[in-house]
Amino acid sequence: MLIGIKNASKFIGISIIVCCAVVICTMFLNFYFDVQSVESQITSELSMIFYDAQVSTAKVVCMVSGGCLLLTSVVMLMFYIKHYIDTHKKELGILKALGYSNIKVAKHFWVFGMTALMGTVIGFGIAFLMMPRFYALQNEDKMLPEIVIHFHPAVFLYFVILPTVGFSLLAIGYAWWKLKRPVLSLLRNDFHSVDKGKKRTDDKLSERSFVDDLKRSTLKSKKALDFFIIFASFCFSSMTQMSFSMKDLSSEMMGAMMLVIGLALAFTTMFLAITTVIGGNTKTISMMRAFGYSSKDCCKAILDGYRPLSYMGFAVGTVYQYALLRIMVDIVFKDVEGVPVYKFDVPVMLVSLVVFIAAYEILMFVYSEKVKKISIKEIMIE
Amino acid sequence: MIKVKDIIKSYGNGESSSQILKGISLEIQDGDFVVILGASGSGKSTLLNVISGLERPDSGKVFYDATDITALSDNQLTAFRKENIGFIFQQYYLLPDMSVDKNVKMGADLAGNKDYKTVIKAVGLGEKLHKYPGELSGGEQQRVSVARALAKKPKVLFLDEPTGALDEQTGRQVLDYICKLKKQYGFTIVMVTHNLNIAEMAKTVVKMNSGKVSDIYQNEVQKTAYEIGW
Repeated sequence: MLIGIKNASKFIGISIIVCCAVVICTMFLNFYFDVQSVESQITSELSMIFYDAQVSTAKVVCMVSGGCLLLTSVVMLMFYIKHYIDTHKKELGILKALGYSNIKVAKHFWVFGMTALMGTVIGFGIAFLMMPRFYALQNEDKMLPEIVIHFHPAVFLYFVILPTVGFSLLAIGYAWWKLKRPVLSLLRNDFHSVDKGKKRTDDKLSERSFVDDLKRSTLKSKKALDFFIIFASFCFSSMTQMSFSMKDLSSEMMGAMMLVIGLALAFTTMFLAITTVIGGNTKTISMMRAFGYSSKDCCKAILDGYRPLSYMGFAVGTVYQYALLRIMVDIVFKDVEGVPVYKFDVPVMLVSLVVFIAAYEILMFVYSEKVKKISIKEIMIE
Repeated sequence: MIKVKDIIKSYGNGESSSQILKGISLEIQDGDFVVILGASGSGKSTLLNVISGLERPDSGKVFYDATDITALSDNQLTAFRKENIGFIFQQYYLLPDMSVDKNVKMGADLAGNKDYKTVIKAVGLGEKLHKYPGELSGGEQQRVSVARALAKKPKVLFLDEPTGALDEQTGRQVLDYICKLKKQYGFTIVMVTHNLNIAEMAKTVVKMNSGKVSDIYQNEVQKTAYEIGW
């Protein structure tokens, strides 16, 4: 059949994001359930305040991290299904022409839900491996009675079963919706329709060079990729800064975990987004090379437009991590004694920025080498 | 003048290797209108790709006056194409997210041609500057690709089955535009086709068969796009 596990394997980015979300959410929700079982044993007022703070933290982290990462993986899933349909239009069109109904073809997209299963199972496993250390650190000062780790079927249901089923259904539903178009529009290489607003913008800015125009057009044509680039930089910025800034507020383990998750999310998302950008522009690059544009011009047109977006993502991430820690200190831990004063950490931000710029530019250099290797023959393969 | 000497080109490796061009030699004069004529699989498109510098031959040389383009590095070859070559392909390869104006600008910017809109007008698309490829017919799209190729003021224009995806009427129209513009700008044309009738428009016809040149002849009379059969 047209769609198989091999195709789903290309959705590894979704698995990684889902895995990160499940690691965090499983640990905190499991802790949330287990810590409630010791509530009746708490006698002192101070311990009760600490207990309330732990419960609130678990809820906030679960909702904020889980929610953000879930949203991102849903956007990524939809983007890749759309991309898959766009790149396999002819094969899907042939199936439809032969008499396969939309739903019959769409049903095969369930395998994309397996990417979520892979991520959730691995994430769930990692969470349980890390849990003893996590529980110990959460109650390092022994302010609460001993918290025993229990397996909660509800947590397994929420973070393994439901996401897998949900992602499979979403994949089938979204594919079915995207396939609802005439067979001929799938079989032919039809250009998409153009809105009139776009035309007006083009009229106004006709003095720019072709390379600059193409740069803008590349950014405009796939807005989901713009989002992923911003998201990747956002993850890098917020998670690296938070992991170092919160060393006084939390344990080293939390910091290290945040750093690893942040870097994994940032690099996976960036890698997938840029690979898709180049893959989607292979023919354009090939055509430009045939006409005599240098590799430098091709890279400028295809990749340079994302630089401002990535820096924007870094700036948003910086603000986000500051606001989140501020909220945690000022609201969640407001009644807890001994919580250190939290200030914006300028040196950490500067180091993070320098590392980010270096990493981004190295990545762009690697990809520009890939662009150079795109053969002119690409335009002859049709 | 373009001199092609003993070109050999194969695809594949080992036992699956197949020789597409088997020692081709020919000369193309400046300003000539050459048609490379042959059946499917005769090697005509491969020859066009090699002469235009899109592909490197396994052996043999291609000279543009004194410059052997087979000896140029990739960067030098890119610069060479920028200065000298224009392409028109059967599938147009227009950029779907850019207007007619911007698509033609792709060629014009390479030559610093600020006056490129006259070429768009010359192919009869002056009123459609801000249309997108998806809003144009096949013939109009091919005319955009003609304008794009000519806006870079090439010395040699290579065309690979330019009317292959067009109906008779629009095919004739596109060829007519190309011939009119050739008279105006004076570039050399090298066109690949399997259509014997189109060959009657050329000055020089190179017939190919199984990777070899089977015949080269000159047409005494060059017919126009509206005089040939289809």
